Amino acid sequence: MSIVLFSLLLGIPFVSAIVCALSPGRRVLESVTATGTGLTFLSALVLAHEVLKHTFLSSPNAFFYADALSALLAAIVTGSAFATALYSFGYLNAHVAAGTISAGQLRLYYALLNVFLFTMVLVLLSNNLGFLWIGTEATTLATAFLVAFYDTKRSLEAAWKYVIICSVGIALALFGVILTYFSSVTIAGSSSPSLLWTTLMIVAKKLDPAILRLAYVFILIGFGTKAGLAPMHTWKPDAYGEAPAPISGLMAGGLVNVALYSLMRFTVLVNKAVGHEFTSTLLIIFGLGSIIIAVPFILLQQNIKRLLAYSSVEHVGIIAFAIGLATPLAYLGALLHMLNNAIVKLLLFFSAGNLRLAYHSKIMRRIEGAVHVVPFTATVFLIGVFAVTGWPPFGLFVSELTIVTAGFTAGHFLPTIVFLVSVATVFVGFIYYASKMAFGSSEGRERQIDSTPMTRILLAALALLLLCFGLLIPAPLMTLLRNAATVMAG
Amino acid sequence: MPIIDQQTLVRSVDILATGILVTAFLIISSKSLTFYVRLFAFQSILLGMLSLVIAVRYGETHILTAAVLTFVVKAFTIPLLLNKVIDRIRVRKEVDFSINITVSLIICGAIVILSNSVAQPILQVQRAGSLFTTKVLPISIAVMLIGLFVMISRKKAVTQIIGLLTMENGLFLSGLSITHGMPLIVEVGIFFDILVAALILGLFVFRINKSFETIDIAAMRSLRH
Amino acid sequence: MNDIITNALLLILQLGVTVLMAPFIFGIIKKTKARIQNRRGPSIFQPYADLTKLLKKEVVISENASWLFSFTPYLLIASTLVIVILVPTVFAPLPFHWIGDIITVAYLLALGRFFLALAGLDTASGFGGLGSSREMSIASIVEPAMMLSIFAVAVTAGSTNLSIVVRSLSTTPASIFNPSHLLAFVALFIVTIAETGRIPVDNPETHLELTMIHEAMILEYSGRYLAFIEWASQMKMVIFLSLLANLFFPIGLATVLSPAALGVSIVAFVAKMTLLAIGIALVESTNAKLRLFRVPDLLMTAFILSLLSLILYFIVGA
Repeated sequence: MSIVLFSLLLGIPFVSAIVCALSPGRRVLESVTATGTGLTFLSALVLAHEVLKHTFLSSPNAFFYADALSALLAAIVTGSAFATALYSFGYLNAHVAAGTISAGQLRLYYALLNVFLFTMVLVLLSNNLGFLWIGTEATTLATAFLVAFYDTKRSLEAAWKYVIICSVGIALALFGVILTYFSSVTIAGSSSPSLLWTTLMIVAKKLDPAILRLAYVFILIGFGTKAGLAPMHTWKPDAYGEAPAPISGLMAGGLVNVALYSLMRFTVLVNKAVGHEFTSTLLIIFGLGSIIIAVPFILLQQNIKRLLAYSSVEHVGIIAFAIGLATPLAYLGALLHMLNNAIVKLLLFFSAGNLRLAYHSKIMRRIEGAVHVVPFTATVFLIGVFAVTGWPPFGLFVSELTIVTAGFTAGHFLPTIVFLVSVATVFVGFIYYASKMAFGSSEGRERQIDSTPMTRILLAALALLLLCFGLLIPAPLMTLLRNAATVMAG
Repeated sequence: MPIIDQQTLVRSVDILATGILVTAFLIISSKSLTFYVRLFAFQSILLGMLSLVIAVRYGETHILTAAVLTFVVKAFTIPLLLNKVIDRIRVRKEVDFSINITVSLIICGAIVILSNSVAQPILQVQRAGSLFTTKVLPISIAVMLIGLFVMISRKKAVTQIIGLLTMENGLFLSGLSITHGMPLIVEVGIFFDILVAALILGLFVFRINKSFETIDIAAMRSLRH
Repeated sequence: MNDIITNALLLILQLGVTVLMAPFIFGIIKKTKARIQNRRGPSIFQPYADLTKLLKKEVVISENASWLFSFTPYLLIASTLVIVILVPTVFAPLPFHWIGDIITVAYLLALGRFFLALAGLDTASGFGGLGSSREMSIASIVEPAMMLSIFAVAVTAGSTNLSIVVRSLSTTPASIFNPSHLLAFVALFIVTIAETGRIPVDNPETHLELTMIHEAMILEYSGRYLAFIEWASQMKMVIFLSLLANLFFPIGLATVLSPAALGVSIVAFVAKMTLLAIGIALVESTNAKLRLFRVPDLLMTAFILSLLSLILYFIVGA
């Protein structure tokens, strides 16, 4: 069973990518990508189901491995990819209709989208920490051309920065991986599978603490760069701002979680080996730093996608902060927040994409009176804004509340208060811009066709999910979250 | 049964590692783009020879594979690719600096000293002495950091690629020195990633040159806030 | 009594080898360069003839020159001869090695250079001043590089006294060929080229105002004085080459007093010197003179290499 699931999860995106790279027509590209990502999502759900029954799945050679944590993340990431694929059709067809992209670009887009999904799944299912690294670097390479998709000066600059900064970061992470391997080789010898996460967890107590601490610093910087933790976040506003909206959405909803997942795996390992104080301190500092640094950029932002990028920096900070609190409740909050953040980022980037199509601009000053021009998009965008700033009754309210509770019960009063104040300030900024965009004067603008029906259904579904997770979390999901939190507790 | 005697082995590893460090310094002190690429190729050859020596000494096939991959990918394919890029874009083939050579050299000298002290705690670990290559670790960290420094202080897009690749060489050397390389499949994956990264970055250089009419990354400053 | 005679003989041998060999080395360099350029070139012994001729010629002194001008050639010859006493060529330890160590050598070199620069300024000729300023600015990087590269070898031997360093290295040949020494050798080789004013740092055969350094400084000298200065700089070449030869390849060097050992040592020394001289000629033929503003980059590389060699001694050991 495990073999079938693993091969489906990795094989479907891989095959779809090849088919897309070779296929001629738009229809083929769309149907292949839709079925591919849909089936992958389905497999991820089955995987989650299996993991609930069997605690973990492992391939016979122990190369692939899935427990509640990887299954949860796989479901989030593949779901995000599915949503992105569905949104891409409408978004790109609008470009095709306007004649701004060629057939070749379209083919490249769908092929790379599938490769992107493949690399993310590879990270999530690898038991081998070396492959965790390889997959993470591969996500950068897969998305390089997607960020540079529009082939303008700005997008090239963004893509160059993105690839260079992330590659450097990830190179530092490799040094961390090498050190981890070193610490395990000195115990078990190089003939044993010393780089497998399962093996490392067994010998964790025997690993050299000094080496592991040093390794963790490099890992944190490396995967932190990829996740967009401050101060390594500088590529993020550029890349998210210049990439096509669906890609920005998938990067904020999927890729960020994948990077955080890698970080979490190492955190769990280091926590088990040397206690959680070391990682906690680092994560709380970097987490809070990211939250605080995002605030002024959100308050003084003109570009809607860069605004969302800084919001992503903030939320990555929140998740890192929660992981740093290192209590079961905090882990639960972190995982829940990863889920909610993914959904809300997809919703926001997609509606921002719609706004861009309607107004031909990403500058917020130029987007006014959206409720009159594109009422549906404006509505879901507002819902997204309320959700992302942590208002009830949406999912992020629940997860942030969980994290705050965990922060106070863990005794981290000052950091938690700083966290609350920053989140409140961000709320003010967001509402200010959003209300101007939604309710400003729409003079001189006609009401426009508000995206395709499929896009509308998709956005409505995402908004509904946010509301649903705010009101009640389905029992199987809750069990999965609890199990994943248990994995994180070691 | 060792094929090479220990004395010669240790010496040759030391000398090859020193050679790698010296090429990193030569990269810092050179001004022409083609020379950058040639030095990187030479550095990779030295790295390949070093892994070859270790592979032969311990009879480990996975290091042998890594050595062959180093020759093929880093010493041959990537330099070829980069040379093609440099030829085609017809830019002024000189490196632009934000920190001049003399100061750069001094900074890199300091980097080596720093690397030595960074590496000490790792070398202190018990059993670390069981591999004779561990003392090369400070050199590998220094090569890594010098690569990073090249990326920061040199402004042409191609030089940033070379910096990144130099970093990778340092990483590979560090892996060789303390663990005798990662497991084979991981090593192969890493090589694949590096090759693809070089390819993509090379393509980007083309496109940047077309759009900006320069490959000076200081010209890329349209994105702010 | 016996000791005094042996020491005296050794001293004469040491001085004789260096003083007499100096023009010969220059001859070899010139001949090799000519051969590489497909010319026949002058005889290897041409420099001897040049020196003899200069010694016979009349000295012309600028009327602006002070006593410094005529004092400098004597000082230069004297300081160089003292260095010769300290740098082992065919035998170690030298009889008067306790006079000073590598630091003394460095200071004596600096002393000669200082007076030469003063003399260059003394005649109030434009070229002299130009040469002096260039020489001193180059020296400011070359000197530390030289010290550091020799220190890298000295730490292996645990002494800064050249005779002791060379003897200890030649008795433990296993410690010779290591990374630290390799770098120090390259650094000292660059230093040698800079100190002796060869291409690519300086060109001894040109009097082009844009490029000349050493030649500009001694432009006003003639006759006997010029012969002294030329001879001193030829000896300086021998000093540096024997440092290169004996610090890094002390093979064949005599450490005991026996005719056989000394004989082998002399043959080995001449061979090593010839090889190094050919090496210098090769470097000169295959490189172009650097622009003056690029020279510090090269010298900086030498300095960094010597620094690295010292650091590497502590990292990978000898």
